[in-house]
Amino acid sequence: MATGSDQAVGMGMVALSALIFTYYTIWTVVLPFVDDDHIVHQYFLPRPYAVIIPTVAGVVALSAIGSFFGYVMLQDKMKKKAK
Amino acid sequence: MTKLLQWLLGVGLLLGTWACLVWDLVPTQLTPQWKEVVWVAPMYLLMSFACYSLATIGYRVATFNDCEDAAKELQQEIEEARRDLAKKGLKFS
Repeated sequence: MATGSDQAVGMGMVALSALIFTYYTIWTVVLPFVDDDHIVHQYFLPRPYAVIIPTVAGVVALSAIGSFFGYVMLQDKMKKKAK
Repeated sequence: MTKLLQWLLGVGLLLGTWACLVWDLVPTQLTPQWKEVVWVAPMYLLMSFACYSLATIGYRVATFNDCEDAAKELQQEIEEARRDLAKKGLKFS
């Protein structure tokens, strides 16, 4: 069975994704229809960042996965050679 | 048609439609606000997919199950197989 901490982490991930999705939807889909001088614009970065931030995050995440994978493969190779 | 081709076709169609709308290759009556929405649409799709993936992983982590009945059954079957093989003269080290 999933332990208490598993459940907390899992539900935390679900909540985080729901939060990100809601915020991003409001940012990209709803905000263009709100007047430019409305107060809600205070809580959102300028529009180009809606593309820049996910792109940067994606590149960083992919390179982290790639370098981790490369590191593990390299270690495996070294171990085999040492034997 | 292979899966790769299907995906390429789908992505190509979507990107083509998107490009037509963003660069005004076809006459449309979109308001500037809708133009803004269309402009981020591909990134929005990607973000939706990312959020869906994260939520799925989280949900599966939270409701992860172990199958005690299946484990018992498997152990039983291993025992059975061992006995059967021992009868046929196989020696277990």
